[in-house]
Amino acid sequence: MFGSVAFLIIIALSLLIFAVSEPLKYYFTLALLLAGVALSGSWSIDILTGSAPAIELILFRPAHGPGFVLTLDSLSAFFVIVINITVLIGFFYARGYLAPYRQTKQNTRFSIHFFSYFWLWLSMLMVVMLRDGLAFLVAWEIMALSSFFLVIFEAEDRKIMKTGISYLIQMHVGMFFILIAFLLVYRSTGRLSFDALAEYFDGHHNLPLFLLFFVGFAIKAGFVPMHTWLPEAHPAAPSHVSGIMSGVMIKMGIYGIARVLASMQSDLLATGIFILVISIMSGLGGIMMALVQSDMKKMLAYSTIENIGIIGIGLGLGVTGQALGSQSLALLGFAGALLHVFNHSLFKSLLFFNAGSVYYATHTRNMEQMGGLMKKMPWTAMMFLTGSLAICGLPPFNGFISEYLIYMGMFYSLSDATLYISLLMIVAILALSLIGGLALFAFTRAFGIVFLGEARTAAMNHAGETTPGMIIPQVFTVGLILLVGLGSSVVVKPVFNNVMITWGLKGMPMVAGALSYNLSRISLAGGILVVTLGALLLYRRYHLSRRVVEAGPTWGCGYTAITPRHQYTANSFSGNFNVLAKPVLRTGKIVDLPDENELFPGKREFFTRSHDIFRLYLIDLPVNRLSGLLKKIAVMQTGQIRHYILYAFLFMLLVLLLSLFNII
Amino acid sequence: MTGFILIVIAALFFPGIILRTKSIASGRKGPGLFQPLKDIAVLLRKGSVFSISTGLIFRIAPSVALISVAGAMLLLPFSEHKAILHFEGDFIMFAYLLALGKFFMIIAALDTGSSFEGMGASREALYSMLVEPAFFILLATFAMFSSYTSFSVIFNHFYITGNDYVFIYSIIGAYLFVQIAMVENSRLPVDDPKTHLELTMVHEVIILDYSGFDKALIHMATNLKFALYGSLIYNLLVPAGWNTLLKIGAFFGVQTLFAVIIGITESFRARNKMNKNPKFILTLTTIALIAFMVILILTEKLV
Amino acid sequence: MVNYLIVTFAVTLIYFASAERLSTYVRLIALHGLLLCGIAVFELKEVNLVNLLFIIAETLFFKAMILPWLLGRIIGRSGVTRVHRQAVPGFYLLLFSIAGLLISVSLARILLNPFINTIYLAIALFTLYTGLLLIVTHQLIISHLIGFLVVENAVFLFSLAVGSEMPMLINIGILLDLFVGALILGFFGLKLKPHTNELTMLKD
Repeated sequence: MFGSVAFLIIIALSLLIFAVSEPLKYYFTLALLLAGVALSGSWSIDILTGSAPAIELILFRPAHGPGFVLTLDSLSAFFVIVINITVLIGFFYARGYLAPYRQTKQNTRFSIHFFSYFWLWLSMLMVVMLRDGLAFLVAWEIMALSSFFLVIFEAEDRKIMKTGISYLIQMHVGMFFILIAFLLVYRSTGRLSFDALAEYFDGHHNLPLFLLFFVGFAIKAGFVPMHTWLPEAHPAAPSHVSGIMSGVMIKMGIYGIARVLASMQSDLLATGIFILVISIMSGLGGIMMALVQSDMKKMLAYSTIENIGIIGIGLGLGVTGQALGSQSLALLGFAGALLHVFNHSLFKSLLFFNAGSVYYATHTRNMEQMGGLMKKMPWTAMMFLTGSLAICGLPPFNGFISEYLIYMGMFYSLSDATLYISLLMIVAILALSLIGGLALFAFTRAFGIVFLGEARTAAMNHAGETTPGMIIPQVFTVGLILLVGLGSSVVVKPVFNNVMITWGLKGMPMVAGALSYNLSRISLAGGILVVTLGALLLYRRYHLSRRVVEAGPTWGCGYTAITPRHQYTANSFSGNFNVLAKPVLRTGKIVDLPDENELFPGKREFFTRSHDIFRLYLIDLPVNRLSGLLKKIAVMQTGQIRHYILYAFLFMLLVLLLSLFNII
Repeated sequence: MTGFILIVIAALFFPGIILRTKSIASGRKGPGLFQPLKDIAVLLRKGSVFSISTGLIFRIAPSVALISVAGAMLLLPFSEHKAILHFEGDFIMFAYLLALGKFFMIIAALDTGSSFEGMGASREALYSMLVEPAFFILLATFAMFSSYTSFSVIFNHFYITGNDYVFIYSIIGAYLFVQIAMVENSRLPVDDPKTHLELTMVHEVIILDYSGFDKALIHMATNLKFALYGSLIYNLLVPAGWNTLLKIGAFFGVQTLFAVIIGITESFRARNKMNKNPKFILTLTTIALIAFMVILILTEKLV
Repeated sequence: MVNYLIVTFAVTLIYFASAERLSTYVRLIALHGLLLCGIAVFELKEVNLVNLLFIIAETLFFKAMILPWLLGRIIGRSGVTRVHRQAVPGFYLLLFSIAGLLISVSLARILLNPFINTIYLAIALFTLYTGLLLIVTHQLIISHLIGFLVVENAVFLFSLAVGSEMPMLINIGILLDLFVGALILGFFGLKLKPHTNELTMLKD
């Protein structure tokens, strides 16, 4: 009772954001956020530690209908914690990031921004806590709208406004699918709620309804081929918003899919294979397209698609495990997916915040212009390095743990599987290892080109380290990453319990126990690694102090006029991969080569550009055809009122004629 | 523990044997077996020159590479003596530890600000990406065959059936390991360690700017990696039933044979055209799939 | 013993997908002939002696010696460039080959039948797929011919898969081989045009 009243008070207070004056606005929103996080966090921790099986809070109950009732079970509690951590860290980061904008933007802009931020957090929380269909859709819509307002923070730029609107449209397409799915459930069970799903799945074919829900949620999550909004919206939004969008908002789609999966009873094998195929496509397609981007945030957006693919592979494996009755596969698949949800929110938000810091310092997102930033922004560089290592799944960081769980699921199930399942597992293993290798390629490229070497253009000269206010939240994220990476056996236990409760997997404490042992060994290995590395580096410092150490220019193989422009650019680094994957990537070069007869060639420009083939064929092509068609019809819109009156007159004539001949 | 020490001892001889084989194959007498070790000792005595473009990453990368290889060594068993650190799925950690070393070497190459090293880094990243699936599929076949997922346990369960196919499978597995080792250490036919033409360099160009202590660390890491793969091949081929002295002899025999094979391949095989390399590395994945088919037959899923 | 031969056969098929020069193809065809001879010897023990001798003679002499020699002469005489042109780059050819391996194994499992040896069926399907891949992705007519030869080996393997039940099928397969040999002799041995190295269409 107290909880729901407190929650309602916090929601009501959010309206005051508009009223509070400028410097206090940020702190007021921060206070509201902290209060809300503390409240919801306490509920979630209660559930996760097992002191309460489920918590129900009534926010608003009208006479008819279920109203807004918040229900927390283990799955919701897990997502609540994921949301809270990243949103809070993002808001701390935002203080420093938004500081340069205070001079150029008005107060109202900031009010709208903070208000939307608060309501984005709130709506995400409600999405995972509401079970009633209508309330869920309302929260989903609020999430889309608030994120739209956040994305168009810099709407003076026409392109950003266009991107925002295209984002809004695609979100609504997704919502349309979810609405239809809910209506189907309502039609057969009389209730519009997630709880009614189990009842529906009992009596009908599971797969069609699942597909409807999946498409709707996948548009939000960013599975290929429904990902087309992601690479546009994330670069357009300011970095703290991109961080939380990529880190947690996308996971709301995963939450929805997980919810539907938890109620499914039949058609499991087909569902599992379907999810696996889509996820493999997302994983491979996402990282392949990330390899050819020059815009730092666009690359990170595509990498998000790849990680969603990995989460999807985990989910698909879990469902396949359920279908085959292999409890260990189900446990490991789902646990790997959920853990990756958490891990990804941590390192992806860290990477986006770093990209924001780089933008803050250099005012460009183009990787080809950067270089040597590590000397100017050492903290940001080290944190980007940590994020890159984590996202590639390298030990001793957290990405390795979730990928390890997914791999173990596959390896465990290989020995007793039938031929088809073995083939499926081998294809999944092939895909996952390829995704890992490509991620390594992409992030060595990103880190190396941006932070290492020499600056490629003079624009880097005035870059400097960002304010401590921006660095400290990121350090906190790094701490969490290391905690999960090195202390995995402790952290993963609640995830296992969560999975077991949500999907009703009984009798798995033995596997969970064995896994904890393995994870503790991994942590031990990670610890040994770090300690020996430290020792070796200390010895190296001692060794070098007793020897002559000089400095000199890099060996240029005899060529003495080296400029920083000679370094490898981002696109040349991934050039050899580009050649291999040409049909998918469709990169094109735009260059106007000098004529043979031109004696004194003038200045030329060279562009490379890549296309997202899904966007090309699924959206651009139909939209262009449609607008071509509509343009022809638009001839009738002349703008002159006499023509319109003529049209009305002609219409009346038509009606008269038709009724004379008794057709109407 | 035994495995760890044996790998270190084998690594002391390995480069010497390769060099000697190549020399003899070219008709020369060649340097002594311990010459590479003496080279490392000389490097340890020297000072270093660091480029002004480089930063922290360049300085710590060789140490990370060496530590990652050492960490991978902790996971390898010696026949039925378990590894120092063993747990289920340790081969996943094995693969990713080696990838960690590679990550740092690649970004260190980009740190020098030289287009030369960027080229090497780009090629190294592509080839290591292409070789990953082959390794993982091979590991999957191990897991499928012995229904265990830890290095220390898998190899003990190999010669249970005296089937023909097991022998074929071991041969394919050994061949794949040899090829993977040669790709990962950038030997022929992917890259020629003797050449210094920019057209053909992959690994050599990454370590171009190193000197002194760091260069010694890199050489140590390369030698240990060779011995690492040699140990894997030994575990694959030699059954667990023999007595210990014979096994140690077989271990060094396998390592020597591995080194001689690398030497002979390098002497007689031409380097691939650079743009044919991805195709070559992909053939490794296809052969790994053939090994998978053999295992399918062995485990009677494909009767 | 047969198992070694079968696995080597599968490996040669991968080599087909990754080879660069036509002479490699010719050597692989010769190797195929030898392998098939070996497989035939080990598999067909219940067939009467005359038939067995005929099969051995056919595979050993015709497939492993005469045909490659003929092909070699044609390639040398027509001056076809060593590196065959492809419509699809080599990397994709390998990817298709991988897909083919997986598909043929699943197909063999689907078509499970107590009378058919599944392993032979899987390898035969893969051979068929590789032969078709060669024909479809290459431009020169010589490559098409080699692809057709590979398809024939697939037919031979298919007949071996059911060989113990229907020995006559093998003879029919061998006769197909002889027919193709005559085809090669006829088209290329006698009517040789000056620009055969550019030959891409049959009507030329």
